[in-house]
Amino acid sequence: MTPVIDAAALVEPLRQFLPRQRWYSGTDAPSSVVVEDSRVLDRGWPALVDLIVDADGARYQVPVGLRPSGERPDFLRGHDGAVVGEVGGNDGPLLAYDAVLDPVLGLSLLDVVSGSKESADRVRPVGGEQSNSSLVYDDRLILKVFRRIHSGRNLDVEMTAALSEAGFEHVARPLATLTVHDDDLAVLQPFLVGGSDGWALALTSLRDLFGVGDTQPVPVISADMAVPAAVDPAMAGGDFSAEAFRLGRITAQMHRALAEAFGRSAGDTGVWADIVEAQVEAEAHPQFDRAAAKGVLAALRGVSDAGPAIRLHGDYHLGQVMRTDAGWYVLDFEGEPARPPEERRRPSSPLRDVAGMLRSFHYASLVAQLDRHEECGDLAAAWEERNRGEFLKGYRKTAATAGLVADPAATEVVLAAFELEKAVYELGYERAYRPDWQSIPLAALQRLGAR
Amino acid sequence: MSDAALTEGSDERWFKKAVFYEVLVRGFYDANHDGTGDLSGITEKLDYLQWLGIDCIWLLPFYQSPLRDGGYDISDFFTVLPEYGDLADALELVEEAHRRGIRVIADMVMNHTSDQHPWFVESRRDRTNPKADWYVWNDDDQRFVEARIIFVDTERSNWSWDPERQQYYWHRFFAHQPDLNYDNPEVQQAMLDVVRFWLDIGLDGFRLDAVPYLYERDGSSGENLPETHEFLKLMRKEVDATHPGRVLLAEANQWPADVVDYFGDDDECHMCFHFPLMPRMFMAVRREQRYPITEILSQTPDIPDGCQWGIFLRNHDELTLEMVTDEERDYMYAEYAKDPRMKRNIGIGRRLAPLVDGDRKLAELLHGMLFSLPGSPILYYGDEIGMGDNIYLGDRDGVRTPMQWTPDRNAGFSRADFAQLYLPPLMDPVYGFQAVNVEAQVRNPSSFLQWLQRALQVRKRHHDTFGMGSFELLQAENPSILAFIREHGGETLLCVNNLSRFAQPVELHLSRFEGRVPVELVGRVPFPRIGELPYLLTLGSHSFYWFQLLEAAQ
Repeated sequence: MTPVIDAAALVEPLRQFLPRQRWYSGTDAPSSVVVEDSRVLDRGWPALVDLIVDADGARYQVPVGLRPSGERPDFLRGHDGAVVGEVGGNDGPLLAYDAVLDPVLGLSLLDVVSGSKESADRVRPVGGEQSNSSLVYDDRLILKVFRRIHSGRNLDVEMTAALSEAGFEHVARPLATLTVHDDDLAVLQPFLVGGSDGWALALTSLRDLFGVGDTQPVPVISADMAVPAAVDPAMAGGDFSAEAFRLGRITAQMHRALAEAFGRSAGDTGVWADIVEAQVEAEAHPQFDRAAAKGVLAALRGVSDAGPAIRLHGDYHLGQVMRTDAGWYVLDFEGEPARPPEERRRPSSPLRDVAGMLRSFHYASLVAQLDRHEECGDLAAAWEERNRGEFLKGYRKTAATAGLVADPAATEVVLAAFELEKAVYELGYERAYRPDWQSIPLAALQRLGAR
Repeated sequence: MSDAALTEGSDERWFKKAVFYEVLVRGFYDANHDGTGDLSGITEKLDYLQWLGIDCIWLLPFYQSPLRDGGYDISDFFTVLPEYGDLADALELVEEAHRRGIRVIADMVMNHTSDQHPWFVESRRDRTNPKADWYVWNDDDQRFVEARIIFVDTERSNWSWDPERQQYYWHRFFAHQPDLNYDNPEVQQAMLDVVRFWLDIGLDGFRLDAVPYLYERDGSSGENLPETHEFLKLMRKEVDATHPGRVLLAEANQWPADVVDYFGDDDECHMCFHFPLMPRMFMAVRREQRYPITEILSQTPDIPDGCQWGIFLRNHDELTLEMVTDEERDYMYAEYAKDPRMKRNIGIGRRLAPLVDGDRKLAELLHGMLFSLPGSPILYYGDEIGMGDNIYLGDRDGVRTPMQWTPDRNAGFSRADFAQLYLPPLMDPVYGFQAVNVEAQVRNPSSFLQWLQRALQVRKRHHDTFGMGSFELLQAENPSILAFIREHGGETLLCVNNLSRFAQPVELHLSRFEGRVPVELVGRVPFPRIGELPYLLTLGSHSFYWFQLLEAAQ
């Protein structure tokens, strides 16, 4: 059978289509678009053609659906950006569009990826994703379609599979992958039904705390009235500390499994300090106290035994962990998307992940009060301190037994350095995308420098 | 006979759809003015219970007893405690209840008797009397040492020395409650006779007290032994053969995975209490997130078709975490022990209203969940009007104060002298009978009692689905929302609960029901049709919705 369409005819429409997608890494239309690979996945009607597109040197996956042009299918309503364009087909003009929105082709994708081992009644796309497009089948399976394609194994697939192999149960084990020329294009995993991410839970906890912790003192009505005790996070109903403790524990279990799967090497604080220092040098925010930051790094260089270096999650924060009925799950092992894959695979201190999560607690405590009128600063700080402490308590016990951390004093110093690294990264990010939030990393940097 | 009357053989699985109401005979209503509630008192108040809309009364023990353990220390299984009345009163209560379509079950203590029971009096006399082997005797106190001591505060050993017989006797509970020896077939037959006797009187079943402990074996914990299950199977067979349609409700305070064994293959107990759900419902609203609830539901195994869970918010006992000790079951322990407010409530009897600080919305939400989650709800007398407790009364008496019927003398519970009352009624300004009583709430259309009565009516209209329907948790990104689907015989109910004190939005993935119209069950208000996009709902503070998902044409 002949290919349904001529891929070359799609080049110009794709040039316009790409910049409209959230997963596209550039901002303007690429100057060159090359269709590297075109594979027909479903010859039925509608048809499904999976394209690998090179746009100015970056490779993307675009599964394209094809239907006779004319009437717009319902699922494209409100999704004009998902239309690639009209192309000529064997039997007349065809509408080409992003196939992940098409419920029929969504089921075809499941069939292809699972090798016809899985089927479903219903499929729905997950909205709001940055770097992938995911489809949920019957609230039972999730298919992650990778958009930005790097050569070789996808980090998320590689890490998740290795963790499962090592007996770490808090990841969604890959059930099947779509792999073409050694490149991972999609992965099928169990869907964690009933899950909420850690960020949502942390904000729920903070909301509750702020709700009862109105800072206005109650009026004294009579001389012998018992005055209610001041609210602290331990007393608040929405206390997050037990969750934070469990989260710390599974984080250490994850690191233990990563060390088992990928090995461990001696940590080199000099190398770690050099990496952070380069980022410190590059940050020129007027309120950033570079000298104080260098003090933190000098302390890091002074640590003789900082524990081992292992493979990391790499982009660890509250949004990457999901609470389910079976406890916490860790998601998205792709590392920070802005860094190249080899850098993301570079072993470092497991405390780098820990620092990421601690920064996330700080973020949650401040974001939760951004749009509130009353002053909740003390409560927010108390919340952060309590949950930071419980997370570390949960982490330390398991991590120490597994030989993942050095003595507590060294741990403090290493943590501070990686929190610094994270905060510097955040400052750059916020300046570019959310200037109103720059105060959050700045507060953290000030605090770290003052320690 | 009225239309409501029960007829023999009607609907043998009635208990799957029923709402139970737990009554303390002593505390409900005093018909003979002696200061203590009685069986006739309950009979007098049946019209109230019928109006309230409950389906089955559960009577706490009313048998002859020295009352050293609230009547769970029975000294004669065939006699009613004289303060409560006599057999004729029991018969009348059962008949009058049945005439109103209400069933009656009662506590039955299988594991032990009072040490004043004639069986034990005879057994302890010497080692050769006809009942010598009816209890568990031993020369030393070193057998069955693996069995834990349940009442650690009062008992130092499960063995006590009997100076008369010069031997030790076995007791899993108090020393004055010797365990029966179920290895003796005569004991088995004697207890089956007890069961048959009360079924002949007309009881619709039993709540079987402390069932996991019937047998003892060397080297075992003495809990959940295979022999115990075998005896329960024998009992079920006997009951089914002579009295079909009666219910056996097991009190086995164990983890759900162990409790399910008491259902057998639908050939043991018809019902078991779901103990861990209760404290988790309170924790869920405290944490404003659903995980305490959904976690325990996901760990609850499926049960045979003919069986049912008994679920409750409060009962006559204290809040207990007894069943959560293992490392992997650490959730409740970690959460409760760290929370000073919740910790304070462990080990004391509290009623629902004070547990929620008198928060009406929260009490409604908790009942809304109780009525819609899988299982048959069990209410505790007085909670329907938001009665309080008196924790200074000690032991478990704090939640066993007289039912508050009116704002008049003795709360309308008794016409005896105040000093004669078995316990003083609550008189504090918030929960006392002048403020909280049935009469006032019956007259006030916006009272909690009226709300509950209407909620029970709605539940009854859909009790097939609430009682027997499948349960499917819905994906909701908002952790404060607990949403689920119940389906049975073509009826689909959607239940959405907001566990937060603050208003919350939720987007539900209902595309499976595309085209259907959610109709709110209480007011029959149709909501916008379900489309292919996620269905947006907003819920007020601690509010909940029950919807029926109807085909648009209907």
